[in-house]
Order: sequence, then C-alpha cells, then structure tokens
Amino acid sequence: MVKVFRFTTARMIPSSSTSVLNWLTLQHLRGRFLELQSFDESYVERLRAGDFRTQEHFVAYFSELIQLKLRSRLHSPQAIEDVRQETFTRVFAALRSGKIRQPDRLGAFVNSMCNNVLLEQYRASSRDSSLEDEEETDFPALTLDVLGAIAAKQMAEKIREILEEMPERDRRLLREVFLEERDKDEVCRDFGVDRDYLRVLLHRAKQSFKSLYLKNMAARPPGVVAAAKL
Amino acid sequence: MDHDEAVRQKATERYLLGELHPELKDQFEEHLFDCQDCALDVRAAAMFVEQSKAILSEPTVMLPQRAAAPAPRAGWLTWLRPAFAVPALALLLAVVGYQNLVTYPHLMQAANQPQVGPWASINVSTRGVTPTVIKARRGEGFGLLVNLPPEEGFASYAADLYNPAQKLEWSGPISAATSEEGRQIYIPGRGDQPGTYTLVVRGITTAGESKQVSRHSIDLQVQN
Repeated sequence: MVKVFRFTTARMIPSSSTSVLNWLTLQHLRGRFLELQSFDESYVERLRAGDFRTQEHFVAYFSELIQLKLRSRLHSPQAIEDVRQETFTRVFAALRSGKIRQPDRLGAFVNSMCNNVLLEQYRASSRDSSLEDEEETDFPALTLDVLGAIAAKQMAEKIREILEEMPERDRRLLREVFLEERDKDEVCRDFGVDRDYLRVLLHRAKQSFKSLYLKNMAARPPGVVAAAKL
Repeated sequence: MDHDEAVRQKATERYLLGELHPELKDQFEEHLFDCQDCALDVRAAAMFVEQSKAILSEPTVMLPQRAAAPAPRAGWLTWLRPAFAVPALALLLAVVGYQNLVTYPHLMQAANQPQVGPWASINVSTRGVTPTVIKARRGEGFGLLVNLPPEEGFASYAADLYNPAQKLEWSGPISAATSEEGRQIYIPGRGDQPGTYTLVVRGITTAGESKQVSRHSIDLQVQN
C-alpha cells in the first residue's frame, strides 16, 4: 500500500496531480510561504479540474501540516514522506470520484485520510521491521526562487534578533528543550521555572516572529514556482 | 476543539512542546487542518523552533551580539585630560571652599539662635471643633505646643502633620510627659503655604500598637 516515489532533476513542470505530488517533495516545500486561500467549492472545483497552481498550493499547504503531525509519530523521514504521498494520492482519488462533499471541511478530510494511512503504516511496520531500516532517499535539492531565498534570510535574521534580545537564561532554556531535547520537566526543574513559563516564552517568541512571517506570506506572489535545477 | 479553546489553552505551544494528551492532540490536529489561523500560528512557531535550533547550536550565540552600550570610560577618560581636568577641579575647590567657609557657618549660626515666631497651644485631651488660627509672616515657621493627657496608659506618643492638601508632611515621636509638661513642635518655613493643616496625635502602647488620640485643625494665615 505504501509507495515510494523517485524522481529525477530532469522532470519539468508537471501536468498531472500525481506529478505534482512527485515533484513537490518535502525538501522542495521547506521554507515556502503560502498565500491564504479559502477552501471552498470553487477551490475544490479547481483542484478537481487539475489547475496546477491550486494543486501546488494544496500540496504545499497541507504538506507542512502533515509533516508536523507525523514527526512526533514516525521517526523515519522516509516513512513520513511515504505517508504524506499516500495521503495526497488518496485525497486526489477521492476528489476525482466526487467523494469530497463538504469543501469547507477539506482540511478535516485530509487529516482524516492521513490518520488512515498512518494506521496502515503502523500495521505495515509492525509486520516488516525492515521499513524502519530503509535508507533515506536523498532528493535532489532545488534552487529556491529569489523571493523565497530573500524571505528565508529575513526570517532567519528576525529569529536571531528575537533570540539575542532574550535573557541568556531563556536562550539556554530553549536550547536545552529544542536542541538538546532534554526532558522538559527536568529542564524546568534545573532552571527553576514551570512548564507554563516555557509555554509563555515560546508564545512570546512566536508572536514577535509572526508579524514578519505574515508579511512575507502576503508579499509572496501567488503561483511562483520554485525553479528546478536541471 | 474550537478555535477559542485552542487559543485559550495555548494549544499551538503545547502541541509543539509535545504536551497535549493524545486525545487532545487529535482534536487539535482536526481543528488545525480546518483552521487557517491556527495553521498559520503552528507553522510560524514551528519555523521559529527549527531556525532557533540552528542558531542556538552556534557557539557565538551564547554571548549576545547586541552587547550593552560600552561603559563611558572613553568619555570619563576624556574629562581627565589636563585641558578639562584642571579648570573643573579648580571650580570644585572654589564651591567646596565657599560652602565650608561661608554657607555652613551662617546656617549653623541661624540654627543656634533663639527662634521667634507665632505658636498655638494644642490640648490633646480636648477635641476642638473650630480650627486653631495661627498668623505667620511669609516664609516664617510656626510652633505648636502640644499638651499631652496625663496617665492615658500609652508608653509614648507620635504626631502626624498633614498639609492643606491632606498629604502627610511630617511624622515624629513624642515621648510621654507628665501633665505639667508640654512638647513643642516647630514647623519651619510654612509662611508661603497658608491653609488648614491637620495635626494627628497617636498613642503608642507598650505592645507597639498605635491608636489615634486626637485630631486638630490649624488654620495658617499669612500676613504681609
């Protein structure tokens, strides 16, 4: 049931929904900024009709959410990629057969499909433990468009600025939690803070960053496609 | 889980910190996939976390690049140069000398001289309704002769003086006295601030408790 896709750098702009899936892997989507679109009947219709920009937006938008959902549940990047691609394959199949009856609940449908695929992944991995040992496939890196690169640089600078404005203790706290991945209760105990302090720290940092993040999202022209390195 | 609940529970932060109970996590994810606001929130926070990991792994980030403004040593050092230091020190010497040779002796002399000025008698035992009137010249102080009640059982007394704006201006102790003794409180230089002052006398017990004994209004009138 789980499929592993491969592609080459020679592939040009795809023409089918499956091709969009093949082309837009997680590596290609990382760092992309997505304009907000309403998930309504018109959107679903464009998706069903195979409109490339809509498909690109759809895959890019939900890929990130799927990755966030799966990374706490699956340890292998390959397994994450497999589940992601299978999820989209099934969603597109459901679109073509008219099974999506509530366009405004498109997101919930994607989530639900992902849950089903994940369950199958668990069952498959319990039968075949070699899946976890599969070598990671290195997808060729694509050159991001100039706008994306500039925005990514701005993001990084802003985050650096936010971190530098923090007291040293808070930086160390974040380092222990996110980089060293130590047990959070232990870290809080060591720093003499409670879990709520950690939450508020992250919340404030995110709020400081979010305005620039939103601004970059709004500034990014819709339909800009990452250039492929041939 | 609806949007308001997600915001109230700081679900984004809890989600990224792995703090959500599995059931709540599922509920939040179901909401997340349908709510663009929460999706944006989570994506922004996730990006922050990912990028932070890269930055925090750098050894140089442990010391903030935005160092505090350097101490003004260069500025102070500038002042120590002879071109500035000599005249500055000379001026300082002149000021100190004038104060020690002229100003302080005059002040000491004035403080040691007998004080002549208006005064009024305050009898703590009586509760006068009409204010006590004192007439003072501009800049002049006034005295209050406080007669303390005999054998009230207080170890000591304290007095609080409130100015016409009802702000506490002064508070001080008054030792317990016999019925034949009074205590004078001199209030200097209030001739520029006419109005109704209030003197509150409090008794202090041996246990340190304070109790208001009397309250008197003093109407200070300025004479030209």
